[in-house]
Amino acid sequence: MSDSLIVPSGMSRRHFMGHMASTTLALPAMQFMSSMTANAAALRKANKSCILLWMSGGPSHMDIWDLKPDSSKNGGPFKPITTSADGVMISEHMPNVAKQMQHMNIVRSLNSKEGNHDRGTYMMHTGYAPNPTVVHPGWGSVCSYELGQKLENFDLPHCIAINTPGQPAGFLGMTHSPFMVQNPNAPVANLKPPAGVDADRMGRRLQMLGMVEDQFVSQRRGQAPIDHKAVYNKTVRMMNSRYTQALSLDKEPAAVRDAYGRGSFGSGCLMARKLVETGVTFVEVGLGGWDTHQNAFETLSQRLMPELDKGMGALIADLAQRNLLDNTMVVWMGEFGRTPRINQDGGRDHWPVSWSIAMGGGGMKGGQAVGSTDRDGVEITDRPVGVMDVIATMTKTMGINVETQYTTPRGRPMKVVDAGKPIAELI
Amino acid sequence: MLMDRAHWGMVAVLAAGVFLSGAGASAVDRDAKTGATTKSEDFVDRMIKEGWDEAKIKPSKVAPEPEFMRRAYLDVLGRVPNIQEATAYLESRDAGKRAKLVEYLLAHPDYAKNFGNIWTVSLIGRQRQERQVDRPALSAWLRRQFADNRPWDKVAYELITAKGSNKDNGAVNFTLAHMESGAVPLTSTTTRVFLGQQIQCTQCHDHPSNDWKQADFWGVNAFFKGLTQKTVRKENAAGLEVDDYTELSQRIPEDPFVYFDKRNAVRGAVPPTFLDGRKINLNSEADRRVEFAKFVTEPTNANFPKSIVNRMWAHFLGRGFVSPVDDFGPHNPPSHPELLDKLAEEFQASGYDIKKLVRRIMETQAYNQTSVTTPNNEKDDTLFSHVGLKPMSPEQLFDSLLTATSAHKAGGGADSEKRRDAWLGQFIFAFANDEGEESSSFQGTIPQALMMMNGELMEKAVGGKPGSFLADLLEKAQLQSRTAPEIYVINHMYLAALARPPSARELTMARNFLNSSPDTIRIMEDLFWALLNSNEFVLNR
Repeated sequence: MSDSLIVPSGMSRRHFMGHMASTTLALPAMQFMSSMTANAAALRKANKSCILLWMSGGPSHMDIWDLKPDSSKNGGPFKPITTSADGVMISEHMPNVAKQMQHMNIVRSLNSKEGNHDRGTYMMHTGYAPNPTVVHPGWGSVCSYELGQKLENFDLPHCIAINTPGQPAGFLGMTHSPFMVQNPNAPVANLKPPAGVDADRMGRRLQMLGMVEDQFVSQRRGQAPIDHKAVYNKTVRMMNSRYTQALSLDKEPAAVRDAYGRGSFGSGCLMARKLVETGVTFVEVGLGGWDTHQNAFETLSQRLMPELDKGMGALIADLAQRNLLDNTMVVWMGEFGRTPRINQDGGRDHWPVSWSIAMGGGGMKGGQAVGSTDRDGVEITDRPVGVMDVIATMTKTMGINVETQYTTPRGRPMKVVDAGKPIAELI
Repeated sequence: MLMDRAHWGMVAVLAAGVFLSGAGASAVDRDAKTGATTKSEDFVDRMIKEGWDEAKIKPSKVAPEPEFMRRAYLDVLGRVPNIQEATAYLESRDAGKRAKLVEYLLAHPDYAKNFGNIWTVSLIGRQRQERQVDRPALSAWLRRQFADNRPWDKVAYELITAKGSNKDNGAVNFTLAHMESGAVPLTSTTTRVFLGQQIQCTQCHDHPSNDWKQADFWGVNAFFKGLTQKTVRKENAAGLEVDDYTELSQRIPEDPFVYFDKRNAVRGAVPPTFLDGRKINLNSEADRRVEFAKFVTEPTNANFPKSIVNRMWAHFLGRGFVSPVDDFGPHNPPSHPELLDKLAEEFQASGYDIKKLVRRIMETQAYNQTSVTTPNNEKDDTLFSHVGLKPMSPEQLFDSLLTATSAHKAGGGADSEKRRDAWLGQFIFAFANDEGEESSSFQGTIPQALMMMNGELMEKAVGGKPGSFLADLLEKAQLQSRTAPEIYVINHMYLAALARPPSARELTMARNFLNSSPDTIRIMEDLFWALLNSNEFVLNR
């Protein structure tokens, strides 16, 4: 048994339960026992998941999704290639993704307005511009809140961010904030007690902890002591959960690891697949380094795009092959696109005005390119799309009511989708 | 035996320090049972009581001494008391010891450090800043203001008007942190922090629930026009050019107006205009921010003292009269409007004396109560019938862990500061969240709980290696003869972590654990781990 973290081999189950019985921390331990029989696949069947591929720094959309070979000044050196989607062409440096384009769509007419890294990151994760009166919840936390917590006996967080901090949950509460995996190629930090603390000692620690916690709760000092206990219960359950196997790639076959790529992005994509397969609702996988103000084309063709193409291509193929794609939406975006104009340093600068993102799966139609820009990639010529339209499309695809509205701690209303419309062509 | 004597000698010194330094304090006599002050004319207690009477609720009892002590240390020094401090206070039989404790804390260097940290977070948040912002310089500047007890109007004036090198004048970093987007963030942060007014939604439209107009936002913004920053470089020892400091200046703009788009697509224009409609002489040669700082801090501006009084009240009581603390306005009336007015007037009349204000709040009946609710008052969260629990900030939690365990000192002195800084970085990363929101409930996350349960800092903190807190404690226990060694050990662990002795039930259970195995130090580690991971440790009761 690989997950015998707290039930030690040298300790009988009855002895262990005796240790736990005198405290209320016994409850998660009991559930741990019964969850051994639960079937993860059955749990997640009804629920949709989302994998967000987050390109931090601002990805060069015109060199990936919306090539302009006819623009002598803005086109750049890359050539377009055909894909498995009829009439949709993407960059020559994306051959693996090109084979999967019948599942994906490109939106080529997004205006996201924010050209600063922090503000753009906030905008694309929440749909809103930053505002000092309220911290808008990240959209991944909305998924966790609306869908994830309906799954009972599931002991992993429902919002997980790999290689990136993700977006905080704001007033939805820390339970829905991203659980960050800093490096998918290493063990998750602090998931196990330090060396020297065996299961026997951990049991003793939890028993003592339960006693102190219960005494403080019984003194009637309000809600906070109860909430603290709940978070610790959840954490102990996670430490005990066999689902934490999805946070380790150790047992993956070498061929699978190679297909995804063994860098942090490829490994992150593989971990994301394992997590949604297990039942996690939202996983964000980060790939950084896209702020290519200088010598962009070498960086893009030698480093960034091969890593992106390998991981993303393998992910979509793997999801499709496992029949997970209909329930798993895959979205590709960053904080903004990059200028059509190529600057004197051979790079492109920040550009939120007319850029491209990609999305598919989760029951969406596939193989389309929506909207367009002019020959030089500057002006939107067809079907302008705003960030809230993207959020609306994602929300609808996940089966979350697009009218969902919260009340912020300051008593003001906040809509998940504020004046955005789902992109009809994709639904 | 030697160590033991040194230990008790230390207690005596500290005890003397506590009581001698308190000699000049105005100790308020208080009925030990009800907590009511015998000075019946005190308007704070009277007006708070009127609120209870009106709502027909009864206040909680006076906090027991350990509870009051731990709360006072956390609120004033930003950390729990160490064993010596706790012992000195709890063993004292001086009837006026609460007031003397307050004096001791206000004179302690950690008071200025704590409030310097708190105000750094209020002014520029916890998130990583651009490299031109020198956070340590701002913290050091703030720490000096609190250490010298500078009048609050002077502090605010200097923060708003600061110019020059951000290294020489740490106050400059407040402005530097908010200059982007035409100083829009500076506009909203300055009015929010110093006046408690949230005008930022009027950036784009008139306020929906009060009478602020879009022009009010841009009128304040116009005071910040012409701000410029310049990075000054120098040659380092290796002869390479590196950034030295950032220079902030403001020129008088040729066009004093700022322009903005109204909702009806008409373009608006406004010159520097204060929130009450007053404008400046456009021919003035004075720095525009100087004009603005005068408007903010002049005695006729009642919002200025009210804002800080409300923030301080919230800091100590867990909730402001106006809550959130920075959202004053007709749409969000205070719970005790007359009391807030009177406290603000008193604060202004004192010459904006922060330490006096702290003393004033800490001697109130409301602050001296326990956080234990009664069936009669448990639903109350606006009338201060009991003290509210406050979750520790990341800085408080970190400093308290080090105070309780000396974790950074274990394993050699030379690296202890370096270790401390490295851990603090991890800690802030794991525990900090966005500071725009106050949180009244515990905001724990699974990664935080994992870090507290299994992380390196906790491993060092509870580790019983030679030279550690626990190893020293065990040695002392075996050398003394006043009490059974295991009782000595248990008492001191509870005192270090929770600032109280164990209950009879806790003592029995802990003794049973200790007697169950010959490996005493391992059991001690496990018990200390449980205490430091508990809700009672992380919540300021």
